Order: sequence, then C-alpha cells, then structure tokens
Amino acid sequence: MASHYEAPIRNPLIVGDKTYHDVTVDVARPVEGKANRLWWIVFSVALSAFLWGLGCIVYTVSTGIGVWGLNKTVGWAWDITNFVWWVGIGHAGTLISAVLLLFRQKWRMAINRSAEAMTIFSVVQAGIFPIIHMGRPWLAYWTMPIPNQFGSLWVNFNSPLLWDVFAISTYLSVSLVFWWTGLLPDFAMLRDRAVKPFQKKIYSLVSFGWSGRAKDWQRFEEVSLVLAGLATPLVLSVHTIVSFDFATSVIPGWHTTIFPPYFVAGAIFSGFSMVNTLLIIMRKVSHLEDYITLQHIELMNLVVMITGSIVGCAYITELFVSWYSGVEYEQYTFLNRATGPYWWAYWMMMSCNVFSPQFMWIKKLRRSILFSFCISIVVNIGMWFERFVIIVTSVHRDYLPSSWTMFSPTFVDIGVYAGTIGFFFVLFLLYARTFPVIAQAEVKSILKSSGEKYKKLREANPNNSH
Amino acid sequence: MKKIYILALLVGGLSLTSCFHKDKPNYQYMADTDMYFPVGYETYQEIPQGNTAFKGNMEAQLPPENTIKRGWMPFAYPNTNEGYEDAKANLKNPLLADSLAIKDHLKEGAALYNIYCMVCHGSEGDGQGILVKREKYLGVPNYKDREITQGSIYYVIYHGRNAMGSYASQITEKERWQVALYVEELRNKLLNK
Repeated sequence: MASHYEAPIRNPLIVGDKTYHDVTVDVARPVEGKANRLWWIVFSVALSAFLWGLGCIVYTVSTGIGVWGLNKTVGWAWDITNFVWWVGIGHAGTLISAVLLLFRQKWRMAINRSAEAMTIFSVVQAGIFPIIHMGRPWLAYWTMPIPNQFGSLWVNFNSPLLWDVFAISTYLSVSLVFWWTGLLPDFAMLRDRAVKPFQKKIYSLVSFGWSGRAKDWQRFEEVSLVLAGLATPLVLSVHTIVSFDFATSVIPGWHTTIFPPYFVAGAIFSGFSMVNTLLIIMRKVSHLEDYITLQHIELMNLVVMITGSIVGCAYITELFVSWYSGVEYEQYTFLNRATGPYWWAYWMMMSCNVFSPQFMWIKKLRRSILFSFCISIVVNIGMWFERFVIIVTSVHRDYLPSSWTMFSPTFVDIGVYAGTIGFFFVLFLLYARTFPVIAQAEVKSILKSSGEKYKKLREANPNNSH
Repeated sequence: MKKIYILALLVGGLSLTSCFHKDKPNYQYMADTDMYFPVGYETYQEIPQGNTAFKGNMEAQLPPENTIKRGWMPFAYPNTNEGYEDAKANLKNPLLADSLAIKDHLKEGAALYNIYCMVCHGSEGDGQGILVKREKYLGVPNYKDREITQGSIYYVIYHGRNAMGSYASQITEKERWQVALYVEELRNKLLNK
C-alpha cells in the first residue's frame, strides 16, 4: 500500500540522482574545499569597498554630518534611504524562513539558509545608518531607556525613531537566533565530517553539542515553528515601524496610512529580488543547481511579481488619493514627483518597480535565469529609488516655497553606501565559504517526498512506498 | 578553568570601576565636543595664554574712567575730611521720602547689618562684635560715643574711614541707605538705654 501521496503535478525540488550522502557532500563541498581565485578577487573588491566606506564613516563621524549632501530642508536623504533599503532587503530572509514555513512551502528549504544570512547581513548594514546619521553618535546609548544620573531621564516612547531602535534590534536578535538554531544540525554535520583539528574545534563550538536525538529533533521542530510564528508578525511590524518614520509625520507625501503595508510589500519585493540575485550566482559557483532549481527561481519570480503588483497598486492608490483628497499640497507633491526636478528618479522608480515585474507573467521570461537575474538587479535599483523619491521629493518641496531646495549627495554619502554594499558582500562571501549554505537537514527531510529520484521510483512502482 | 573564571570576573569587575582622584576633577565623557566648556567668556574666568584682547590675564576688565552707566550716579562727596563733614551736614537719606516704607527698609537694613557690619560693630552697635570679643581686632567705637548722622554713616560705608574699609563694592546704594537707617536706629537705642 502506498503510504505517501503527492500530487503528480508537483515538480521535484531536488533534481539528480541524490541520496542523503550526496546532499551532505554537496552542501559541505564549499566549506571543505579551498577558495578559488575568483572568490579572492570578489572578496578583495568587497573588502576594499568596505574599507573605503569605513573611511567615509570615520570621516563623517569625526568631521560632522556636514560632509554629507544634506541641507536644512532635506535633513534625511541617502542615509535613511539606504537604511530603509537595507532593512527592506532583509525582510525576504525572514519571509522565506518564517512565513513560508507557516505555509508549509517545501521549496523554501533550499533557499532559507542563504535568505536568512542575507537578512542578518543586511540588517547589520541597515543598523549602521541610524548610528552614523546622528550628529553625536557617541550618545546613541541615550536612545535606550537606561536608569541614569540625570534624575533617571528617559526616552520619549512616542517617536517612531525609538520604535526603530526596538524593532531593528529585536529583529536582528530574533533572526540571528532563528538562523543559528537552524544551523545547529548542519554545523554538527560539518563537525562530524571535519578532519582538521582546528575545523573540528570550531564546528564543535558553534554546533553546541548537537547530537540529533529524537527528543532534540522534536524540540527543534517546535522551536522552529514557534520562532516562525513570532518572526512573521515581527517581519510585518518591523517594516511597518520603519514606514512610521514617514507616515506619522505631517509632510505631504509622507503622511499616508498606506505606508505600513506598502513598505512591507516593497520590502518583500526588494528582498526576494536580492535573494534571487545572490542565489542565481551561488547555485552556479557553489554547484548547487540540483538544489536551487529553476523552479525555485521561478517561484521567487512569482513572489516578486505579486509583491511588485502590490507596490504598483499602492502607487496608483497614492496617486488617486492625492487627486481625490483635494489637498493642494498633497497634489503638488505628486505633481512634483512626476514632473519636478527629480522626475528622473520618479520615473526610474516607476519603470523599475511597476513595469519590470510585470514581465514575470510570461512563463518563458520568468523561467529564464539570465532574465531573472537582470530583473532582480533592476528591482533593487528601483526600490532604492522608491525610498529616495519618497524621502527627498517629499521634503525638498513642501509647505513653504521659501524653504524649497535641492539635494545632491557628496562622495561621502556615496562612499558610505558603497561601503555597506562592500561590507554586505564581505560577510556574505565569508558566510558562503564557512557556513552550510543549504539547510541540509531540512533538504534531507524532503528528499524522499520531493526528490527527483524518489518521485521516479514512486511512478515506476505505484504500489511500493519509499 | 575555575581560576580563569575568577580572573575574568576580577578583571571585568575592575573594568566597571573608574579611577578618579578626590583632589582632581573627575574624568569626563566627550567633554571637549559636547559643550562642557563655554565658548563665550565666563565672568571671572582666566583668559587663556596668548589672548591679547584682555589685560592682566583676566576676564574682568575695568570700565573707562568718568563713564556713567544707566541707573547709577557717581557719589559727589570726595574721600577727604572736608567731604566727610560735608556729607555729615548735607547728605540726606532719600528713603525717608516714603515714610510708609521705612519699616521695610529697616528690616532689610537689619539683615544687611547682620551680614556686613555685626562682625566688628556688634549686633547692638556697641562695638562688641565677635572679632572684638575674641580680641582679633580692637578699637571699634560704640555708636553712641560718636556724633553721626545718616549722611555720615552713608559716607563711611561708601568710602570707609580710618581702619574701616569701603563697603561700596559689597552693597548697593539703596542697601547702603537701608543700613544707614538701621545704624541710626541702633544708635538711638544705645543712647536711650
């Protein structure tokens, strides 16, 4: 009697003639092997960008915020743009590991590890900006409600910037714990395979003595589910709180109620694109094409398409409401976006975010790896411009025409941003060489239900179970 | 292993304490950048070396001679014996113009007297202040032994006389007249005893 039923329409998630051992070997290969020349070249480039950005940060903090292109009207520009952009990118990781877990999506298993790594590393980048954009960052600890000698002077809990502090720090710590919990069985696998004493020692330390007993696995699953259940509202609330930085203000173009869901949709949109960018490269260079299949890419493209359409709806909603509102300031803001001095940024955003994901309706295009890769880059450019447009075009022209001005970044603005991209890739490249980039324990759990080999065996012997 | 923990605990504990000396100002966190020190000149501050805008290395500079600030008039009686006699005969207390307020002036004058004068002249005005009683300083006269008027009292407070120094820098013109009122009251009490 067949004990397993799976709909025949489902494509295999693991292609090739894989056994459990093959999965282990494939996942451990990048960690156990040596970095090739290409890795070192890319790593050096990323490291140089990081160090340059670090120099720009040190220059900013020691000289003053005035080295940036900000002015008295535009007090937020690249700093917060990059902050929101990085936070947004981070959201896909949690979405993949938590929301898709709640929806029992088996295809998440090959990509969740790297998506979570991407979350952690991009939240780290995001976390840099709230500190360095402060005029006096050495007093950043004043944002914490710590009992003190100023008569226990406390923070005001009414500011979304304070909520940001709590949101981002909670998000980073929960993501880190979620990620590391999932890593335990995989680190244990690397520990057990390690032959060099140093590697053995390191992986013994990081795997916390995981021995894979039934009770451990049972609790592991429960913890994963609970953390997924906690991370899902977290992921929605974190970017909501980030959107409150703008939505709770009185600036025309910022003061909208659509921002919380719209920012979250945008975050998923840009985050999934970034996952796509990274995984398309990673599957190639780490030879993981059998695990990160075309189907994974296609499914991510579908998420990009859906969230891109949500973002498109939000744009149209904003435009409709500004016309419908009868508020001339609101109407002017959108007129200014489309036809003002930053028209190019607005149309860049529109074309990248609204039009480009619509290509994914075409099956041939969304199943093309090269096309997906290009679109994933385009989307992230578009989402950067979305934050830039929202932030800069709303404040550079608002209520008083006497306060109208322009914004242009300096090399330090650009250098810090380039530095965070460098730092992100430094972390990600180091991760790809030392961490199991695929959650092999999870992949093994779907090997027999979704592996190509076993699917074929089932088809060949419909009465036999495997 | 246990020793390492204890050592780490000790080092960690020590790092939480700060080493400050009671005879020196304490360490400050980011004091140079964060407005702990004034940018403008503070009253009585020492002027840093190399600053030529100030004479004598101090912030407090003398006003030009023969200038009159708003709400102040120079004292017309010179610091000479003739000036003293002149003030004694002709200088009148302007506070007497408002007879209803004299009670309050006396109260103020008593408080000021007990701060500035009592230490030598005694609380009764009999020349038996605490410095005299302890024989730190002798030769303080009893008010009843001297022929003084409010004008002469004011004059002596302003210029000082013989061993007594000027109190013009301690108390204002109005306060000097309040003290003069009170001193005369003390003298009358001593005379009526």
